[in-house]
Amino acid sequence: MTARLTTLKTVLWTLVGVLVAVSVVRFVHGLGAVTNLSDGAPWGLWIGFDVMSGVALAAGGFVLAATVYIFGLERYRPFVRAAILTALLGYAAVAVGLLYDLGLPWRIWHPMVNWQYHSVLFEVAACVILYLTVLILEFLPVILEHRLFRGRPFQIVLRALKRVSIILVIAGIVLSTLHQSSLGSLFLITPFRLHPLWYSPIIYVQFFVSAVALGLMTVVIESVFSNYFLGHKLHLREISGLGLAASVVLWVYLALRLGDLAVRGVLGMAFDGSWQGALFLFEVGFSALIPALLMLSKRIRGSLTGVAIAASMVVLGMVMHRLDVSVAAFARPEGIGYFPSWEEFAVSLGIVAGGILIFLFFVENLNVFDDVKGHPPEPKPGFDPEAVRSFLPGPLSLPRRYSVAAVTGGAVALLFLPVKGVDSRPAPVQGPRSVEAVIQDRGEEMTRKLALPVATIPAQTTRVLMLDANRNGEVVLFDHDDHAQRLGEERSCETCHHLNKPLDENTSCYECHRDMYAPVSVFDHDIHAEGLGGNDGCIECHAGETKVKSYETITECSDCHGSEISPRAFIEAPEPRWGEASSYMDAMHSLCVKCHEREAMQAPEEHPEDLNRCMTCHDVDWREDVKQLMPRREANNRLVGVPASSSAPSGR
Amino acid sequence: MPAAILVDTTRCTGCEECVLACKEENDLGPDRLRPGQEAVDGLSSTRFSTILRKPDDHFVRQQCRHCLEPACVSACLVGAMQKTPEGPVIYDSELCMGCRYCLMACPYGIPRYQWDAAAPLVRKCTMCYPRIKEGKEPACVEACPEEALLFGEREDLLREAHNRIAQNPDRYVPHVWGEKEVGGTSVLYLADISLGFLGWAQNLPEEDLPHLTWQALHKVPGVVLGMGGLMGGIYWVINRRMRLAAQAADAAGGGGVPAPSPEDLKEEGGEDDR
Repeated sequence: MTARLTTLKTVLWTLVGVLVAVSVVRFVHGLGAVTNLSDGAPWGLWIGFDVMSGVALAAGGFVLAATVYIFGLERYRPFVRAAILTALLGYAAVAVGLLYDLGLPWRIWHPMVNWQYHSVLFEVAACVILYLTVLILEFLPVILEHRLFRGRPFQIVLRALKRVSIILVIAGIVLSTLHQSSLGSLFLITPFRLHPLWYSPIIYVQFFVSAVALGLMTVVIESVFSNYFLGHKLHLREISGLGLAASVVLWVYLALRLGDLAVRGVLGMAFDGSWQGALFLFEVGFSALIPALLMLSKRIRGSLTGVAIAASMVVLGMVMHRLDVSVAAFARPEGIGYFPSWEEFAVSLGIVAGGILIFLFFVENLNVFDDVKGHPPEPKPGFDPEAVRSFLPGPLSLPRRYSVAAVTGGAVALLFLPVKGVDSRPAPVQGPRSVEAVIQDRGEEMTRKLALPVATIPAQTTRVLMLDANRNGEVVLFDHDDHAQRLGEERSCETCHHLNKPLDENTSCYECHRDMYAPVSVFDHDIHAEGLGGNDGCIECHAGETKVKSYETITECSDCHGSEISPRAFIEAPEPRWGEASSYMDAMHSLCVKCHEREAMQAPEEHPEDLNRCMTCHDVDWREDVKQLMPRREANNRLVGVPASSSAPSGR
Repeated sequence: MPAAILVDTTRCTGCEECVLACKEENDLGPDRLRPGQEAVDGLSSTRFSTILRKPDDHFVRQQCRHCLEPACVSACLVGAMQKTPEGPVIYDSELCMGCRYCLMACPYGIPRYQWDAAAPLVRKCTMCYPRIKEGKEPACVEACPEEALLFGEREDLLREAHNRIAQNPDRYVPHVWGEKEVGGTSVLYLADISLGFLGWAQNLPEEDLPHLTWQALHKVPGVVLGMGGLMGGIYWVINRRMRLAAQAADAAGGGGVPAPSPEDLKEEGGEDDR
């Protein structure tokens, strides 16, 4: 028994350790860093499981309280305290889960001061806060019975609490009725998004009835759990009674669920072959129909295994129902999916693990399972050296073993957690788009400007591409014909379209324009590879052979050629950076050539004079009787810049 | 008299001047792709309005509709979403606690969330509420070069919309989107294609959404009194019967009753519980 318990606690502490690690990232970097939630799927596992299911699983508290205190069915008394403790911890877990899910958790108290009667969520919040208080008061006597609180003031409180206990019980039942159903009412306002098989005008009744069945079955699971791990007595006859009651409630639930669908004429959707139909059939069968049938049989109800299996099905199935309503069957925009990230699972599991640990602490130290009045409490499981030695030798006692488990869990989780926050990718402007642009005069500076036309003013326009070439939301206008013309008419196509790079169908802007607004250089890969020693030289620019060769991982030109850049060689980017980029020609002509002209005039002896001459870079093309300057080409038809021997600022 | 915007989608050329003006007015910065967002052209926390590009050069502006009976306002449990008397639905970031129920409730799927922020807020169009207070038009309306957007009193704009349909029956689908949907919205659309794709359902009903919630919520006082009374009553009856049974047993000599002793019953049933 003790070895089992130790193993369980070790696992639970590990999960708590993971939870702590994930919490750090969650609260430092925000929801996006650890969850898969999005604008299309704003509620996920944390709401569906921790809140919706957590509240439903804690329904045992009010169901058992009503059974014993209101209806006077004394034989169920042994379950009451444990059920109330579970409810208390369940609601505490809901509150903790909310702290993770709320975007601004430090404002969780806002509903208390800013009442909004028209909001279902406000009603849920108010009820949960009140019910949590009621549960604390209901459970406080169990704590005050402990010998630590023998003092007189504590005993006065204890007696006062016992006197108002029936009022607390009734308040608890009323509050539970309200918010168990209201969790369903939350979805009344989403008739278009929640699938018709789950949406219902009486969804709140369905939620309440299913919560009652779920509450009864949670108590059974809890009994089996404490029998297996703590060796508490099983009350088979009563468990069987709970099973029968649950069966009745489940039939009511089925009638409400299927009857409502039939009345509204959408029951047929369950059999239309869609995945929602299949999910619905599975959920209803697993959560209600099969367990309800099972527990009708006296033989199955009489056996612990039978009831335990049926109870597990109800518990898992109803959790599934809550998840279906809030996540799975809730429509998302086309193409937007949602599946919880491992961090979301880790937080949900960690909170449950923490709850179970507190449950175990209370059970071991307080008289939670008061089997019969006057009986001494079950002896608390003693310290078993054997169990410890099997894992950690010598003086490492149980607490240390658990700390090791928690710290290890947290450390392992840290390994997998993202260090940075959300990586919001810079967004392309829906790919390149074709737009009309007005050509503005080149003027003296030889700059060609394109601008988006104002539609009402007629002007001569040309078809250009609007590109977000830096992929940062700043667009430029790209004139294909102009590029072709400058780079050598039809001979120039391959300059951009056949660079023969892996997975490269046409050349990206960045092959020539490292930054659409920075000075432009034409980069010749082959010449660089040759100069750096062939294949051995790749690593000089491509950081690490394991990384993908991409714009992001490449070495900046300026890392090697920084010394060659003239301090004044800079084209001012238009501010704000929306509009046209400096073209290759503009950059060359206004940076390189102008600067060389100036320097050559000021200090002719230091500067080779030919660097400011057109012919240094250009061939003269005599085709069609037009004297035209063309970029110089080598034998392989690649563009070349200034001869390698010179110290031209633009490099190659 | 609520203010409204009339969007004549047949006049829109998709130039996105309104989007730029909106970004400038609200200081939104460049677009970033958020998790789960496919293309930047959809609404995002940095894009309160956008132009949806539909086949055959149809451009449909997407933005908050500023419903007359807003589901988001009804859903908000702290009153961060507010319907102003001037018409716009605005958002108070000081009140919001980040539950995102408004994102769930909106029939048009408009509100967006800052998923990448450690202290995230809900973001959506406010119809330039500060500008309206100053007596100016919203920035998008002012920026539109094609007069595809009109700003004014809702009644006037409705009349104008029906006028346009009457004068140019070939140009428009004879329907003003937003006139009646979900109780009416403050952003009205004229179009030559069906705009059903803008909502979560092709044909949004004419009744507003908050009343669906209210159908359940107005039962709360009844449930409190009914359930409280019922439980109290049952308790009183059962407790009294048990006490009477115990007294009878006592009077009969206290011998024969096997189950709980009178003292136990009295204590457990009545006072000795939690």
